Amino acid sequence: MIRRRITTAIAVAGVSALALVGCSSGDGGGGEGGGGGDGGSVEGAPAWCGPEEAVVGLLDGFGGNSWRLVTTAAGQDEVEKCPSVVEYLYADGQGDTQKAISDIQGMVASGADAIVVFPDAGEAMLPALRSAYEAGVVTVPYRVDPGGEAGVDYDVWVGADFVADGVAWGEWIQENFPDGAKILFLSGPAGNSQGLDEREGFESVLTDPKYEFIGEQPYEVTNWDPALTQQVLTAAIAKYDQIDVIVSDFGPSLVGALPEFEKSGRSIPALATSDGNVLACFWQEKSPDNPDFKLTTVATGNDNVRLAVQHAVARATGGEIPEDTLFEAPQFEDSVDGDPSEVQCRDDLPGDIYLSAEMDADEQAALLE
Amino acid sequence: MTDDSTSRRLTSARFSVSKGLVTMAVSTVVLVILGFAIAPSSVSQGAVLGMLPFASVLAIVGLGQMLVVQQGGIDLSVPGAVSLAVVLSTHIPNQNDAMLVPAILAVYAWAIGAGVLNGFMVGRLGLNPIIATLGTNALLFGAVLGISGGIPRTTTRLLSSIAGGRTMGIPNALLIALVVLLLVTILVKRTVAGRRFEAVGASPAAARATGLRYRTHRGAAYVWAQLLFATAGIMLAGITNQPTAFQGNTYLLTSVAVVVLGGTSLLGGRGYPVATVVAALFLSQLDQFVLALGVPFAVRTLVQAAALAIGVAIYTVDWAALRRRLVARSDAATATP
Repeated sequence: MIRRRITTAIAVAGVSALALVGCSSGDGGGGEGGGGGDGGSVEGAPAWCGPEEAVVGLLDGFGGNSWRLVTTAAGQDEVEKCPSVVEYLYADGQGDTQKAISDIQGMVASGADAIVVFPDAGEAMLPALRSAYEAGVVTVPYRVDPGGEAGVDYDVWVGADFVADGVAWGEWIQENFPDGAKILFLSGPAGNSQGLDEREGFESVLTDPKYEFIGEQPYEVTNWDPALTQQVLTAAIAKYDQIDVIVSDFGPSLVGALPEFEKSGRSIPALATSDGNVLACFWQEKSPDNPDFKLTTVATGNDNVRLAVQHAVARATGGEIPEDTLFEAPQFEDSVDGDPSEVQCRDDLPGDIYLSAEMDADEQAALLE
Repeated sequence: MTDDSTSRRLTSARFSVSKGLVTMAVSTVVLVILGFAIAPSSVSQGAVLGMLPFASVLAIVGLGQMLVVQQGGIDLSVPGAVSLAVVLSTHIPNQNDAMLVPAILAVYAWAIGAGVLNGFMVGRLGLNPIIATLGTNALLFGAVLGISGGIPRTTTRLLSSIAGGRTMGIPNALLIALVVLLLVTILVKRTVAGRRFEAVGASPAAARATGLRYRTHRGAAYVWAQLLFATAGIMLAGITNQPTAFQGNTYLLTSVAVVVLGGTSLLGGRGYPVATVVAALFLSQLDQFVLALGVPFAVRTLVQAAALAIGVAIYTVDWAALRRRLVARSDAATATP
């Protein structure tokens, strides 16, 4: 009895898989979006928006935090600028690689002409991306590098230039600590490429041996988890009498940990990181009592998705393809010289919004309601 | 196998209070001495004060797990329960201190609901606790995502000053953990209901024969456990100002680890609350020690795993029987070539 049920289940699964495959290859031809047009012919729309109608899908590998929520909304906002996009689809992989892969297959099957994918699982997503690309769908992975090659496995990868972030931090440190500094660098999970790229960036600037990198090399592993960050930072404070600068690629996760300095009777040190409303408000509150607490941030990169959407829509609708393929996060705040901006805190709004994003702060706050 | 361990438990019953506690206390002291010798920063005031709140949270989670384990069960809904408590106590108030009390009431209401569900499935319906509580865990994570959308909120100031603050230099979290420890110890060891609870864990068959409501006690363990998980979650929300929606994930393995390291048998029986709390302190200090050594992340993970394996081996391997068997085998080998 049970065996029969299992057999049936397998058979059903097999048939549906076949059906999916059939759909995707069948639909493939229609998805060929001809990227050759020099478009921009749609009136009132940006140059990247061509005249051909298209269905565009946005796929997130993991949609479950406020950064992703704002990013997704930014992607949708960008899509809506182009009237040629007749339908907009969204899928959230929920941190499950299997689901993320089947989301791609499902979206190809349902007739998307272009997909923009946040391939959280990295290279594990490459086969699914390739099969979508081979089925004739415009495929644009962004932010996380899926490996593979543009034009072979997908149309183009719109990455973030984390090396540039590192360079920006390095230059700021050089400017504010001309006599050298002890630098502690915190990043996410062990071996993540974002941390390594950032490290490469600021090391290329801080070549002088008077800049000393302390703690675990190439970075302290925090998994971007606030509790682990707090433990790592507590240990570092106890171990090193002198920490001049903390570099972190996820500023808001430090808010719980930085008071550890005060508890040890020390000033919070200078911080070079990415922005977040909660961090800015924290700085405003703490900086009067912590003379060493200087802050610089780069934009946390919600708008990376906009460039990816432009690439996808341009190719699918025959619009003008943007020249940039790498999203360079602009510098955002600097508490020392206020260039390009003073530290911006909106304490009337939730901490989990990003004032560096193109999307209006109140709109972001509304998303979180 | 069951017979073996039962007889072992009985023979050593009078001394095993000290066995778990002594092992953990000695290990912790050794760790502190090692700390002074090779990683002084791990025992500095700042590091210890930073470690204690997290140790306290782990201790409370461990006490909850202990109550279930001593009934021969296991509660794998820890991650969901702690995460949900974190999410409820940060989302409902949304940085408004006035809403903190309703939020905490909601946390405990959910905890009782989840506990009753687990207790009913395991105690009444007799489902396997691993399956039943994993199911509940999935349900709780459903609630976490439903309420928060996976999005964290910043803790209210009031909660972070209570859970993350200090009274006369002592972290409040530690004080809360000590109060919880005292409560659990008194309730289990000094009240009639508590003694019955423990008797049911030691031998459900015997308890049933004496007319104790063993199914109620077994089921109730899951409710007590959820209440403690909820308490730990609220504290964790206060200690980490900007918690994620999945903050409970790290407590699945560690909650079982501290129970086992504390000497409570996974087959059920007596619980050792003090030893469990000391084990939580030991594991947290071990984290701090390895962090202070500055070894790579991979080694850090290995050291923790090794400590756990050694700790578990101390209790679960019947060393006397193993020696006897080895001796017997070598005798047999010489007798029949």
